[in-house]
Amino acid sequence: MPTAVRSKGFIALALLPALILFVVFVIVPIIWSAYYGFFEWKGIGATKFIGLDNYREILQDHIFWRALKNNMILIVSAIVGQVPIALILAIVLLKNSFFSRFVRSAVFMPMVLSTVVVGLIWGYIYNPQFGLVNTILEAVGLESWSRAWLSDVKVNMFAITIPINWSNIGPYMIIFIAALQNISPEIDDAANIDGAQKGKKLFYVTLPMIWSTVVVTLVLCISGSLKAFDHVMVMTHGGPAQSTELLATYMYNNTFRVYRYGYGSAVSTIIMIISALLIGINYILTRKKAD
Amino acid sequence: MKKMQKMSLMLLIMMFIISACGNSGDNKKAEGEVTKKDDKVKLTVWHNFAGDDLRAKAVRSLIEKFQQDNPNIELDAQAIPPDGYRQRLSTVAAGNELPDLFFVYAGSHSAELYKAGLLQPITELADQNPDWKAKFLPGAFDPYQFEEGQIYTAPMGMSATSFLYYNTAIFEQYKVKVPTTWDELMTAIKVFNDNKMTPIALGNKAPWVAQSTIIGAIGERVTGTEWFKNASAQKGAKFTDPEFIDTLGYFKQLVDNNAFQEGANSIDNTQAEQYFIQGKAAMMISGAWSLTNLAASASEEQMKDIDVTVLPSIPGGKGDANSITGGAGAGLALSKRTEGATKEAALKLIYAVSGPDAQKAIAESNSMVMYDTDIDQSKVSSLYYKAFNLVKKTNITPVYDAYLSAESGEVINNGLQEIMTGGTLESVAQKLQDAQARAVTP
Repeated sequence: MPTAVRSKGFIALALLPALILFVVFVIVPIIWSAYYGFFEWKGIGATKFIGLDNYREILQDHIFWRALKNNMILIVSAIVGQVPIALILAIVLLKNSFFSRFVRSAVFMPMVLSTVVVGLIWGYIYNPQFGLVNTILEAVGLESWSRAWLSDVKVNMFAITIPINWSNIGPYMIIFIAALQNISPEIDDAANIDGAQKGKKLFYVTLPMIWSTVVVTLVLCISGSLKAFDHVMVMTHGGPAQSTELLATYMYNNTFRVYRYGYGSAVSTIIMIISALLIGINYILTRKKAD
Repeated sequence: MKKMQKMSLMLLIMMFIISACGNSGDNKKAEGEVTKKDDKVKLTVWHNFAGDDLRAKAVRSLIEKFQQDNPNIELDAQAIPPDGYRQRLSTVAAGNELPDLFFVYAGSHSAELYKAGLLQPITELADQNPDWKAKFLPGAFDPYQFEEGQIYTAPMGMSATSFLYYNTAIFEQYKVKVPTTWDELMTAIKVFNDNKMTPIALGNKAPWVAQSTIIGAIGERVTGTEWFKNASAQKGAKFTDPEFIDTLGYFKQLVDNNAFQEGANSIDNTQAEQYFIQGKAAMMISGAWSLTNLAASASEEQMKDIDVTVLPSIPGGKGDANSITGGAGAGLALSKRTEGATKEAALKLIYAVSGPDAQKAIAESNSMVMYDTDIDQSKVSSLYYKAFNLVKKTNITPVYDAYLSAESGEVINNGLQEIMTGGTLESVAQKLQDAQARAVTP
């Protein structure tokens, strides 16, 4: 017992520096920004306490709701796009052959690229005059489908999800590969002896074994999609006419372009609340499945 | 007892942190004292001439020369890329850590800093050099006279935002007259479209472009400057007035007649310039910055076909058709906290980068100035020389976002994109009116 107590003390001591950094640079700013949200403040000059007015205005602004809807599109596309594709790739590319190593690197590649580069590349791919997408569509005779992908307000949000998914699949695939490698070969053999075929093995053996990893990736998907900012900033600036505005770009524009620091702080607080809610819901849903 | 130990440990660590913070503050003070004893004047300046363009190089060499000429001044000049400049400046302004001199833009940017009590006037510099002040073009100090008889900076350039660039070869090929009236412009657009040629190149991804280059110029022609200034001040005019709906209507006419290439809202300004210079569009409406960009990127062959003029007149308009939107450019402003010898050094630097020699040097770097100076034709590009002389003959009228509040600026920027994607004129006008009314009434 004494050693356990002592080691507990040691653990606490060892964690302390990280904990202090976390509190000072993460927790305190969150509280700070929630507090600024109660003020009308231009970033410079006097502040004026206005209570909940900022929060009220946000909830009444239809651009905010559009931004939230766009974020939801990103979340859904991440959950139905990134996670399953990453999982399938991980299962297919689990073997350590040259070919699978090559494909693995290729899939991981966009993650290494700066998001600005990804945004620029896809900006060219979607370019209405000489972009790859329209050129291919014209080449196969689907000219009527070609359009200005990033400025046509009916499709641009969906067009944006593709590069985001493309650049995010890599890390999820690596996470899944690591999880799959942790399944001990005995279980694999036992499943084979019991006659579990490919599909059955996947759903009744493999998936339950790595379920905690799947939950983690879902959380990462949700929080990543709510934080999404850079791709959109590079490709469309949230436009045209705020049609691809996300919560983060909405916050950025209000804070740094319109100089409403108080309002921007309130938006960031709301983003945090929405994040926490969604991750909570995800936790409850996935826990039930695990039982 | 264990608890006590832990508590005391925590306290100890807390004390370290607090004392660490305290120390750094003391160090700063000590440094300040040393410089005073040293006789060397320490001067900090932030500007955004960080790029590789001719103008940035010209200004940087002016600053370097100042440093060589004044060995007793210890100059700390920071060049910050324009994209993040305003954000960084507002961050240090919020922390009350502004440098002695900093680059400010005309319009809402400098006005906000003035309202926050962070600037002090540089009028004494102008009083010492009356000849210098007299040679600025009319209106050069308008955006910087926050109080009667006081000026807060001297503009180092001029923004001229609405030239009509056109490709003479394409106009000749399709036998189209360079438009001087709105009807001629519409005819030209139709002919080009019939021949599958983009009439006007526009890159409006960053949504200030259409506002800065097009709507201000149309607005001037339809409503006149007087109306716009009244509407901005919300005195006797509103953005929901029929004049302004008409202004937006002319813009919508351009959109409806496919004057711009497809997807104009998804490419940026530089891409549009490239599209135009490669001969894929007959015209481009853009500011003086395109002169610099084109001079830097286009070949001699491409440049020889390009000419520049003002936008066409609009029938029945109340304003001046021989005009270009623009105004005083940015300049260096003096922080309120700068005093004594540092202030003298700061004023000296302002004169070094915006005095007569500096204005000439900037003008000869293919960049417009708000100063009456003669330039050496051999030193500048021929297109710039044309534009420079064009500006001397035309009137300068307001760019919208220089007069509107920051929020209203965003509203009209987004509103023009909305019109391009099918929004109605009335709703855009209403939103602009609401935003500006909110900004004017405190």
